[in-house]
Amino acid sequence: MERTELVTKLTAVFRKVFNNDSLVLTDELTANDVDNWDSLSHMLLITEIENTFSIKFKLKDLNKMRKVGDMIDIIMSKF
Amino acid sequence: MIDSVIREANLGDVPFLVDTIIEAEKSGTDKLSYCTIFGLSVEEVKRYLTEMFNEEIDGCELSVSSFMVAEVNGQVAAAASAWIEGIDGISSSVLKGNLLSYTLPKKCIEQATSLNPIIRDLHIEYIPNTIQVGSAYVSDNFRGNFLCGFLIRKKIENLLKSRPDISEAFAQIFECNLSSIRLCEKLGFRKVMIKESLNDNVLNYLPFNRKILVKNELIIK
Repeated sequence: MERTELVTKLTAVFRKVFNNDSLVLTDELTANDVDNWDSLSHMLLITEIENTFSIKFKLKDLNKMRKVGDMIDIIMSKF
Repeated sequence: MIDSVIREANLGDVPFLVDTIIEAEKSGTDKLSYCTIFGLSVEEVKRYLTEMFNEEIDGCELSVSSFMVAEVNGQVAAAASAWIEGIDGISSSVLKGNLLSYTLPKKCIEQATSLNPIIRDLHIEYIPNTIQVGSAYVSDNFRGNFLCGFLIRKKIENLLKSRPDISEAFAQIFECNLSSIRLCEKLGFRKVMIKESLNDNVLNYLPFNRKILVKNELIIK
């Protein structure tokens, strides 16, 4: 999967989970930059990403995701 | 004063830490959000919390390293937690969310999806590079000895040794939890914010519909 296509799909996931149609993803975006990014929302986000891309994260993968750019790189590595 | 040993928690303390999380979450009520939000029994909650603690992920409320315990006569009598928010550039909410998504069955996550909008009203952001006080609990037989107070004070002191630049500590408490509010006041915390949910259903899932944020300008150092 191309990175651009992945980011488009990932943006849709973020907008759905955080109920924000204007949310724009950047590589530097973190949980501190998005309203209501709490533990429950994060859990839902990870699950939605796994379902959308038909992948399963390992815990060590998840704990490397400091920002959206890390998340994109790790998802890319699954293909 | 009761004769106690204060020490950092270890994996052997996990059963008591699980009880601490459960009792602190209930905030003096019978409403355990892990049960109501995820559709789990108390026994299942204990099992999953144990699994999450045993992953040994540092930096959040489900980290063994966030806890200190007080022993009396060789028996763990109290536990309390605090951590430095975002210490490795990753928020405690993300770390906890990772543990939840990795550990809980899919059916729990599906149930939580529908409830997220209801409980979102009470969300208070953690501020990076501050100390966040998490859970505290003392066994019935040892109440009245300020053990949780000693534990929180000592944990904050220990965290400040590694990060003396930190100047604020926070705790989030349901407003119904009067004993925790009094404890924090004795430790110098003052109320700085109230969050309220007007959703009629919130009390079906959480102990109370108002949460307060208390803050301590740290002068311990």
